[in-house]
Amino acid sequence: MGVVQSMAESMSATPAPHAASALIGPAFYQPGRSYDEMLTQDGAVRSHYAALQSRMSTLTGAELADRQRTLEQSFLLQGITFTVYGAGSATERIIPTDLFPRIIPASEWRQIEAGLTQRLSALNLFLADIYGDQKILADGVVPRELVLSAPSYRREMRGLYVPHNSYVNVSGADLIRGEDGAFAVLEDNLRVPSGVSYMLANRDASKRTFPGTYRTAGVQPVERYPDLLLATLKSLASDWRSNPQVVVLTPGVYNSAYYEHAYLARLMGVPLVEGRDLVVHDNLVYMRTTEGLRRVDVIYRRVDDDFIDPLTFRRDSSLGVAGLFNAYRAGAVVIANAPGTGVADDKAVYAYVPEIIRYYLDQDAILPNIETYLCREPVQLQHTLANLDKLVVKAVGASGGYGMLVGPHATPQERAEFAIQVAADPANYIAQPTIQLSIAPCLVDGQIEPRHVDLRPFVLSGQKIVVTPGALTRVALKRGSLVVNSSQGGGSKDTWVLSETAPDGSAQP
Amino acid sequence: MMLARVADSLYWVGRYVERAEHLSRLSDVMLTATLDQNDTAVSVIQVAVAAAGDPIEFLEGRTAYEAVHSMVFDRDDKGSVVTSLAQARENARQVRDQITTETWERLNMLYLRVTDPQAEQSFAHASSAFLHSIIADLHLFKGAVDATMSHGEGWRFLLLGVYLERAQLIARLLDVCFGDKPGHSQLEDHFAQMAVLRMACALEPYLRVYTAEIHPRLILEFLLFDDEFPRSIRFSTLRMEEHLTHLTRHAAPSDRSGPERLAARLSARLHFADMDETLGAGALLGIVVAECARIHLAVYETFVAYPLEQRLPA
Repeated sequence: MGVVQSMAESMSATPAPHAASALIGPAFYQPGRSYDEMLTQDGAVRSHYAALQSRMSTLTGAELADRQRTLEQSFLLQGITFTVYGAGSATERIIPTDLFPRIIPASEWRQIEAGLTQRLSALNLFLADIYGDQKILADGVVPRELVLSAPSYRREMRGLYVPHNSYVNVSGADLIRGEDGAFAVLEDNLRVPSGVSYMLANRDASKRTFPGTYRTAGVQPVERYPDLLLATLKSLASDWRSNPQVVVLTPGVYNSAYYEHAYLARLMGVPLVEGRDLVVHDNLVYMRTTEGLRRVDVIYRRVDDDFIDPLTFRRDSSLGVAGLFNAYRAGAVVIANAPGTGVADDKAVYAYVPEIIRYYLDQDAILPNIETYLCREPVQLQHTLANLDKLVVKAVGASGGYGMLVGPHATPQERAEFAIQVAADPANYIAQPTIQLSIAPCLVDGQIEPRHVDLRPFVLSGQKIVVTPGALTRVALKRGSLVVNSSQGGGSKDTWVLSETAPDGSAQP
Repeated sequence: MMLARVADSLYWVGRYVERAEHLSRLSDVMLTATLDQNDTAVSVIQVAVAAAGDPIEFLEGRTAYEAVHSMVFDRDDKGSVVTSLAQARENARQVRDQITTETWERLNMLYLRVTDPQAEQSFAHASSAFLHSIIADLHLFKGAVDATMSHGEGWRFLLLGVYLERAQLIARLLDVCFGDKPGHSQLEDHFAQMAVLRMACALEPYLRVYTAEIHPRLILEFLLFDDEFPRSIRFSTLRMEEHLTHLTRHAAPSDRSGPERLAARLSARLHFADMDETLGAGALLGIVVAECARIHLAVYETFVAYPLEQRLPA
């Protein structure tokens, strides 16, 4: 806590000169506990940030603000917005987007790529196992009741055939960098992760904002994501259809990620359907077209498990398709991600992922976990309750920054209230130390200021696993805040993953 | 082949866009007419309000300017310019994956402009310029539709909406001015007749055909039967027929008696009609409105809301 505060003070003490260059330097970035993406401990610029930093220092505050406005205008124009429903009126907002890309050198990316591939391979094997023979439960590596009692465990999935045993086809893990600068996995996000459209839109924007820097830096392209996604989805039905019909299933235009659903459908060139467009007859899935009914083979669904089929899951759902799960069970359609993947990113199961990797792959985890206390264990519950002021406590089933307590930033009263909730239902909670996320330079009100960031890369898995060389960097916009979720006022920025070789042919770090 | 829901939305984008454009033009002509304090102004205002589908009581207790303001900005009025644009944009958003970025950006930008908190202020500042720019932006939108979208099924559904709406709107305008309802006087004032041509965006093309001799019979002839002027009813029904013929090509055979037949019949009717027909302009205009409504229903039955039982594979 003390560290966060002293950092905030050092920021507010900064004067506001006209040239942005004066803002970057030891005077501004006090060496704190947080890892700085751009500067080393002694204030020198890291070599992979050199090109961007020298460009930043030649632009004045007014020029930067101007570019920021152009950027926001272009997002608004493209309709990359979410709707905020207020009293009597609905306004459209863009998710705040920051001008400066976050840069990751090739060497660090190699580790991230290997780590994510390893992790997703293991998690797919884990899902195939718990919905199959349940060896890992029989061997006692993961507690049986932890898995089988999780609300996200779908017993309807037991013994079903899943193409290539690839349950999770699209995932977007949240990585963070701790104070030592090492990446760790915070969450696996195996259900219906969103944000990939922002990765693509941010890239589009940053190419226009910093064209020269982009060229000299030697950045790996992310633009192939849509066609790789399509290939992944098609590979799921390739055994029985030569040219499968893929569709994107959206909850509809009022969903906050609707833009992304439409964007992906448009870039893949496949229909964007809603539940009401689909019909199941004799266990075959059709869409209603102007020329009658057409077969559907692969559904990339952006609707949660609970809502995809009112006959199997939630009965009050009108977003899904009656009979869809039966068609899936009959093998006549592929749903991606497969239902029931949520159990593998349950926050309590998360604690066992390093064991899961060792169990199936006989390897150590390349990307470590964050230390996690399971409140279901009495000793760990005691530790959690005694240290609420130092820990982040999360409900195991929740996501999006809801149902969580950031101990150091909460009032004593909030902590006391949360402690009662945790004690009443300990199995529903886990606790983790408060990690000082790394910081990166961001443009805030015309000034360059450090903000905490995380990293969400996107991984595709069909016949094979593909990690897109790029990511969504989420930004906690409030000074000192560690919460990056867009539902809690977070923003985003582009992420440049550098190539192994620079454009001039020299090797990059 | 496209999703039925998508076809439905594109059709409504066309209808709402056309409606917004027509209403902007009515409003603009109406405001210009109020500059003169005479009988012409009164009858133009009455024509515009009636053609916009509002009862004459709409004018009670408000000035012409206030009436126009509400025709443009009233969010509670289902037919206002802002509501129509919002609906067009909402429909476009629901099929964002089916229309080009260029098309979307035109419409979205216009929507953002008219719903901006500053919009009413700039309307108060320069009303005519404001309406003018809406019309110009809608022309840009239609231009982008033509220049960037594939001229396939989606494009045809959008234009079907445009022309069906247009035929109905022009028919209603003509009926208000020259219909022969009992107790309803025909519009005889020369300036008012010019204003009507302006409302149909037809003044200049009319003058080129008939010279400055303006006469109700010629106005009717031009706006009903001309097959080159894009806002005539005949021209609109020809386009509807053309689009529907393409669209029904792949529809199931049992539906072939549907909308394209109705459109062709209406088009033929206009082709062979003449003004001296005993039934008179009012009856003919009534037929146009009624047939357009039937075509609308037939489009739904054929492409959108068909019974599933008939389409399931055997």
